[in-house]
Amino acid sequence: MAALGGGAAWRGAWLPALRLARRSSKAVTRHWKAMHLQRHKLMALTEYLAPRPAVPERCLRPAAGPQEEENGYARLLRRQVEEVFRDSRMIVVCQYNSMPGDDMVLMRHYLRKHNIEVKFFLNEIVRPVLSQSRYKNLLPLFVGRNILLVSPETKAKEMLRVLKGVPQVNLLGACIDDTILSRQGVENFAKLPPLEASQGQTVGALALLPSQTCSLLQHGAAHLTALLDRHIRQLRDGAGEGATPAGPEPAQSPGAP
Amino acid sequence: MAGRINVVLRPVKSIVVRFCPFESNVESTRKFLECISRKKIQATNRNCEVTADVRHDGSEPLVDVMFADGDRLIMKGANLTTVEMLTALGSRCNTKELKAEQKSKKKNP
Repeated sequence: MAALGGGAAWRGAWLPALRLARRSSKAVTRHWKAMHLQRHKLMALTEYLAPRPAVPERCLRPAAGPQEEENGYARLLRRQVEEVFRDSRMIVVCQYNSMPGDDMVLMRHYLRKHNIEVKFFLNEIVRPVLSQSRYKNLLPLFVGRNILLVSPETKAKEMLRVLKGVPQVNLLGACIDDTILSRQGVENFAKLPPLEASQGQTVGALALLPSQTCSLLQHGAAHLTALLDRHIRQLRDGAGEGATPAGPEPAQSPGAP
Repeated sequence: MAGRINVVLRPVKSIVVRFCPFESNVESTRKFLECISRKKIQATNRNCEVTADVRHDGSEPLVDVMFADGDRLIMKGANLTTVEMLTALGSRCNTKELKAEQKSKKKNP
């Protein structure tokens, strides 16, 4: 910005990029002021050049970024899922197509009457829990929107009846008493008689054979006894006819002497 | 994305979605069933019956659409995406709607 006077070398030199340096404005302006050429050249020369690494970064393996902290809420939900799978005897997985809210409330009410709870879990929480537990075969079911019906009892018939009235919920599969069942399996399970009745039937069927064994074993001896009885009767009847004349003699002989 | 597609189900009589949930290729078919069962699409035709047939025989996922004029559309969802299935159904429904409108216009000019 100082006057271009100075050394004689500058006087009369014609600079290729003629930049008019108007000296009317002050040093510090509100607008961008054209730099003096010397300053401009100096700035260009002394511009910062970032050091380039010998091996470009894209050729190197990317460093593993900071691991995402486990969300406490996700941990809580995972713990809930584990509890549900541990404590309930019957777990039914159904597909959930959007339902009007009133129908949802009614369905929950009817299921609650049979002690069946309706649970919503996100797939991304359930999948890792299942893959590490022994329910690995239920993994393909957890795709899309699902609901879980869980219960400490196994009232499959009542549950099927409620679900029949709700067309938007489709039964996909179930895990009852650690046995994975398909939809057909659940329907067959619902048709089974209750446990006490089937236990009684089994006991009766098992007890039938031993009772028959007893009579079978005694059959031979009883038959022989009956035959001998009849034979004795026949002999007695035959002897009685022949002995009736001889009958009184033995009675008299002790009396005679 | 699949939630934005609106299908007019007026020319459709019934839709049967058959799949085996323990297979690994049923995701798009299940998503299709979800989208079809939404309130908006169901409201376009209250008489259309949407049935889900859940089996366990390793069969391929299948969507069977019966139209009111007797046509039948069978989509095998094993290698199709949800969007493709919805657009296919939507385009056919639209053409049938147009035909029906033209017919009704011809009848009542």
